[in-house]
Formats: sequence, C-alpha cells, structure tokens
Amino acid sequence: MNNFTFNAFIFMWVLLATSSPSYAQAPSSENDNRETASADSAPADTVNDEASPVRFQFSGFGTVGMIYTDAKDLHFIRPSLSHPCDQNPDFSPDTIIGVQGNLSLGQRTSVVVQAISRKNTHNNYEPHATLAFANYAIAPFLTVRAGRMKMPFFMLSETSYINYANPWIRPPTEIYSLVPFNDLDGVDLLLSDNFGKWNVELHSYYGSSSAHVYRSGKGHLNGSGLNITATNGSLTLFAAHGEARMSMKWNDKYFQDLSSALASPFVPNGDRILQDLSGDKGRARVSSVAMQWDDTRWLLIAEYSQLKTTRYTPNAQAWEITAARRFGNFTPYLAYADFAKHRKNGTITSEKTGIPDLDAAVQAFTASRNLGQSRTTVGLRWDFYRNTALKLEYSHIRIKDNSWGSFLPTDPTNIRMENRHVNTIGASVDVTF
Amino acid sequence: MNYRYNLMGSRSILRAAFFTVALFFFSSPVASGPDQTGVNTQEAIQIVTSANSRSALPMSQEEATQLFLGYRNRLNDGTLVTLIDLPVGSTRNHFYQRLTNKNPVQVRATWSRLVFSGRVRPPIEAGSAKEALEWLANMPNAIGYLPASIQDQRLKVLLVVPND
Repeated sequence: MNNFTFNAFIFMWVLLATSSPSYAQAPSSENDNRETASADSAPADTVNDEASPVRFQFSGFGTVGMIYTDAKDLHFIRPSLSHPCDQNPDFSPDTIIGVQGNLSLGQRTSVVVQAISRKNTHNNYEPHATLAFANYAIAPFLTVRAGRMKMPFFMLSETSYINYANPWIRPPTEIYSLVPFNDLDGVDLLLSDNFGKWNVELHSYYGSSSAHVYRSGKGHLNGSGLNITATNGSLTLFAAHGEARMSMKWNDKYFQDLSSALASPFVPNGDRILQDLSGDKGRARVSSVAMQWDDTRWLLIAEYSQLKTTRYTPNAQAWEITAARRFGNFTPYLAYADFAKHRKNGTITSEKTGIPDLDAAVQAFTASRNLGQSRTTVGLRWDFYRNTALKLEYSHIRIKDNSWGSFLPTDPTNIRMENRHVNTIGASVDVTF
Repeated sequence: MNYRYNLMGSRSILRAAFFTVALFFFSSPVASGPDQTGVNTQEAIQIVTSANSRSALPMSQEEATQLFLGYRNRLNDGTLVTLIDLPVGSTRNHFYQRLTNKNPVQVRATWSRLVFSGRVRPPIEAGSAKEALEWLANMPNAIGYLPASIQDQRLKVLLVVPND
C-alpha cells in the first residue's frame, strides 16, 4: 500500500467519524435542535438570501475495498480500470474516492464537476475528471449538456463508481468491462417526462472517448447512441444502443512479442492479422437491455449486453442476474454472471499464417483479450451506519476456453489461465456524503 | 519468495478481519429499516411551500413522489424547485416511507444515482424542523415537508401525506 492509499483510508475514517449520528439517535437530536436552533433563517454558507437558493453544493462518495484471490499465480484485474497489483489481498481494484460540486447559475444553467482518485491503469492515483459539463434546460423536460460525461452504454454506467447505490462490491465486471471506454467527451440531450406513474427518460449522446489500456495501449472511440429508461415505482426498465468508430492499439509484452513476429515479410498473412489485432479502423456496436425491481423486500437486477466489433476485440455477450432480499439493515444477495465470446464470430482474426507455432501464438494472444468467464457470487450488504454500507462477498469464477477472464498471470512466462476455477473473497465499506 | 508472499497475504487478511469485526463491534444498530418506528408515527406530514410561491395548485401524490425521488426537479409551469430535507430522523424516514414506499437506504441510493450521474441537485438538508420552516417561508421556490402540527401563516400546504 503506498502513501495515497493510506491517506484515503484515513480520510474515509475521518468522514465516518465526523458524519452525523446514526438514525437510532436522530429523533432526540432533532428535538434538541428544534429547541436550540436560533430563530434566524438559513445559515450564510448554504443559503445566500431569500431570493436565491443554494448556488453551490458539494457531495462525494467512496469505497475502501479489498479482494483476495485464492490462486497465487493470478492477479484479479478490472480491465480498463485497474492495474495488476502484487499484493494479495489487493486493495487497488475497488478502493476509490470521488468528490462532486454542483454550481447553479440561475434557473436554467448549472455546472457539474466530479473527480475521482483510484489506482488507474497507469499504476498511480492521479485524480481524474469523471464529470465536467455545463447543463442548460432548454425546456422543463429537455436538458442539453456539453463537456465530459460518463459513457452510458449500460444501465449503471453513469454511476458505476457509486458502489453505495448497488448491492455488490462492484458492478458485474463481465458487463462493465465489455467496452474499455468510461468517459464521454461531447454533448448529450436528456428528454425526461412523466406519464402518470411512469417517468421516462430518453438520453441521446454524441462524442468521443479515449482509454488507456494496460500496459501502454491506447484506445479511441467516436460515436453516438440512444438510451431509454422507464421507471414506475419499484420497477426500472432500460434499453440502450450505441455505435462507434474505434481504434485500439495494444501495447503490452504479449502484443509486442507477437507483432514483431508477424511483421516479418516471410510470414504469410502477417500484415493482415496485425491489422485485425490492432489499429484504427474498427467499428463497434453495443446493445443492452436491463431491468431492476426494488421494493422494500426484494431487489432484483438483470442485464444483458452485447458487443459487436469488426476487429481488435472479440464479439461477445455478457449477462448477469442478481436477487437480494432485505432483512432490516441486512441484505444478502446471490448473483450469477457470464461473459461469452460469440460462438461463430468470437475470434479477432480468421486469418492464419500456416505456421503452427505462430498461429498458436495468435490464438494465445486473442485469448488474453477474452474476458470469458462465469461467476457465482454470494454476498451480504449491511447498512450499519448512516449513508455507509459494509459488504462481504464470495465468488466462484470459472475461466472459459481461450480466455483469461478478469485475471492476469503474475508470471508472464508461466501462463495457465484457461478453464481454471478461482475463488475470490471481497470486503468493502462504501460511503456517500 | 513464495513463503514471504503467503505471510504478507495472511497478515493482510488478519488486518481486514480485525477491521470488519471492529466495525461490527463499534457500530450501533441503525433504525433504517421500514419497520423501525420513532416518535412521530401517528402524525400526518404535510408538503409545504412559501405562501408567496407562484405555484398555487395542490400537488398530486404522483407529482410529489417524482419530486422527492428526483425524477423531476421542476413544476408543471417550469419553475425550478429547491427541495428542503429535514435532518435524518423519524419524521424524514416516515415521510419518504409513506410517500415513496422506500426506506432510507433505498432513498439514499436513488438520490445517489441521480446526483452522481449529474442529473439533479440533491435536496438541501436543514439542521432542524425550525430551520426548514424558516427556509420554506423565505425561499419562494422551496418545497419541503413538516409535521402537520406545525402551522405557519407564511406557508401553504400543497399535499397532506396521510398515515398508513
């Protein structure tokens, strides 16, 4: 653990210690306040005067999480989010802190900035702007935003770091790692209206996104999409479709070794295979449907997503289903998730060199880009304190054929990934403030 | 090398286990579930706004639910609303439970999604019912809720949320 992790830890504890008393004590403190509060109106730091409501609001979220993997030769990794770490248990995949400021500029305009710090794919904790946009209400039901938003391919994409809002320690990696792009730099339109008990939001967006991929690979995406979310009481339905031009330039040891071999003029089809593996002429389509049922007893979540690409990554589909039952402050849950490359079109390249060793190396490389796995998780969420949740979970993961799942080998010269059964244990504390 | 690795691992596990047990030990049970009732359960709760507010109409239950769950932040005439929350406590919990049928954790989760996706501003939390009353009386576009026993000429009632 480096200094920053330690500081984040301390910071979270201070937050916990200084946040308001728990609900159990709240009624009495509320009465005390009523008696002791001065007769003056709003305090100067939150409300300026009678006519103008609060202009600036500050809020934040955070998680301290650890994951233990029972296979000594594997690292757990969240592709496109985290960097492999030599420690086991590993605090880096899930630990995060985020802060947000909302600034109102009159009735129609506002500015939102959100920054996070987590161990990123560069292996540091440099803060990253996850939101930085201006927001203008064209009409009561229509808002346009411009700047940095979150790439909204899946139901929970826009709040994928807000672990407090979800039952699990982290959103299903099978779905949320399907596309390695997290930011959206561009514009979007939010059309939101109420029809009786239904609230319907249409969300269309256009923009680009850059991704850094372990170890020094780069991806870029430029596209647009349309999402629809309908909410009625306990039920939320979601559907999304996005299309983009995509470039993906891998740059890690496996790719470097393979590309220098394929680049030789004596390798048949070497250049064509290389063009399929890495470059800037790809197209991607992402489609997703999801539902959530959230009543006072049950929380049910299901999501199905598919990725179709012309090159660079395998065509794949992922789905997950979760059932959680609330018992007061305890919420045990059971989840199953699956990531499968497409049966016919799941290979990145169909070309062959005709050289057995090299074809095997190409296949091994494509396996390293394949997140194929199935996962069963049992967990418990405990809302033990105000705006704070503790989660414990156990997962059994089966890595599929020609796949690395959500793991990397600790020793690049001794790779044994396929068809492995791996158990992980995770614990986390989530806060919002 | 492997041995050291193992040892580090087990020490970290011990640390995490201690951390978890300590959390269990020091935390008090939280009345966040729907069945934990406080002192004001019998009292009706009213949704109120300033008497000077332009919105004169009574509010429907659907409209109130959508406002207090963040699914809308404007009235039908386009006025941007500032929501006022009471401090955490039984009045607040019962208000949300009765109006939206969600417990405090669900309400917090719902608002977290909307706030941190940049959709809406969170409600402003008053330090006490008295403070909420003053804000509501003085801010024309503020909407909040108070126990029905609190009467003030500077406020008008938009909806009374009945007892179960």
